[in-house]
Amino acid sequence: MHIPDGLIPATVAIGGYAVAGALTAYSIKRINQSDNAQEQIPKVALLTAAFFITSLIHIPIPPTSIHPLLSGLMGALLGWFAMPAILIGLLLQAMIFGHGGITTLGINAVILGVPAILAHLAFQSFSGKQKLFSQDEDGKKQITRRLQIAGFLAGAIGVGLSVLMFYGFIIFTIPADIIDPAAERRATLILSLSHLPLLLVEGALTAMLVSYLSRVKPELLRGLSEARA
Amino acid sequence: MKQELDAYAHLDSPLHRWENRYKIAGLFLLAFAFAFVEDVRLLPALVVITAVLFWLSNLPFSFLSGRLKIPGLILFGIVVSLPFLSGSTVLASLGPISIKQEGVMAALIIAVRFVCIITLSLLIFSTDTLVNTLKGMIGLRMPPILADMVLLTYRYIFDLSASFRTTQTAVRLRGFQNNKLSGGKLNTLAALMGNLIVRSYEQSERVYKAMILRGYGMTDANPAALTSTLTDKLWLAAILLLAIGLVSAQLFLNL
Repeated sequence: MHIPDGLIPATVAIGGYAVAGALTAYSIKRINQSDNAQEQIPKVALLTAAFFITSLIHIPIPPTSIHPLLSGLMGALLGWFAMPAILIGLLLQAMIFGHGGITTLGINAVILGVPAILAHLAFQSFSGKQKLFSQDEDGKKQITRRLQIAGFLAGAIGVGLSVLMFYGFIIFTIPADIIDPAAERRATLILSLSHLPLLLVEGALTAMLVSYLSRVKPELLRGLSEARA
Repeated sequence: MKQELDAYAHLDSPLHRWENRYKIAGLFLLAFAFAFVEDVRLLPALVVITAVLFWLSNLPFSFLSGRLKIPGLILFGIVVSLPFLSGSTVLASLGPISIKQEGVMAALIIAVRFVCIITLSLLIFSTDTLVNTLKGMIGLRMPPILADMVLLTYRYIFDLSASFRTTQTAVRLRGFQNNKLSGGKLNTLAALMGNLIVRSYEQSERVYKAMILRGYGMTDANPAALTSTLTDKLWLAAILLLAIGLVSAQLFLNL
């Protein structure tokens, strides 16, 4: 889900850089306010590398296959670190594979970063993970169920908003004199609805991943959240 | 995941010799000037500038064509559909299908801008090693926290990728076939991905300790100073003139 170079007007690309720059600067400010910001840098960098690799996995949805976006999971795990992490991931994808582009780096970071931050806020609100280390077995089960729901929401929000923003930017930046506004609206609706299975799959995958992490490495769910100011 | 970008970093050309900070700034602004072009009459200028710069770089054409394949496929669908879906001036029609002039023009502009900007990005990232290019970005006042994260992420992408491939092979050898989606298979994929995330997290704790032992966070740990010559500055001036010329020409044509 990358807007390639040359597709959108320069003004939109510059606007994308301005928004991405402002969000990244704000994220860095929040990160620097935390007590252990320096300690989090290698954690976030290696997790960014892990997200970069896992997003290349094929998930078969016959007759095709998809790649997970993982912006919701990044938001859930990295919090405010998600914005710089996404920016770095996109920069490296543009450098290594030519995916996305250098003029569209900002707008692509906004398309993935804004939903990631919203997914982080949703995950924070719904997870109740502050009780994750409860000794009570029933309590743990309840927390795991809440985490799964929060994970699903984070994954679905991440994909759903990214899809809407992606097609919105592509279709609404085509000059009005060459495309019929009614066709524009129809295309946005059809293209967005066609991604509904992706939204469900990514939501389920994020819920499963959060559940896995809560069992195997619960401090990963708690640890980076403490880095948030 | 091969580090193909560094494959031609050793070549000798004016672009290889151009100091990274000036090269990144100049070609980045030129790419934005290309994105600013919306008039078909300016497209030949984009093609000529890009072709000359690419020729000067000594990079093989096969390298460029290889890099255009995947992003080109994504753009192909949009560019091919525009002549049929957009515009009102019919150029040719066959039954209910007609090709429209405005759509053809829009497709042409997008395709040329795409190829030219991708070529420029290849010139930025492939005429020196990726690490040196990142150092150039740091020299352009990239925030230190971001610079550290970029270098660390890049450092560990290839390590983690190799480790992940081993895990994938192990899962396949145990009979897992990723050919049809089911809840169980999605759970296995989630465990596979979760496993990599956990291992990368554990590795990061060791990396941080190693970084601290090597003096990470000390204020006097300055990177080597980047030096530039008059030639670097002249190259930047020439590229900026081209970029300003293109933007001015587009603004003039808009009048």
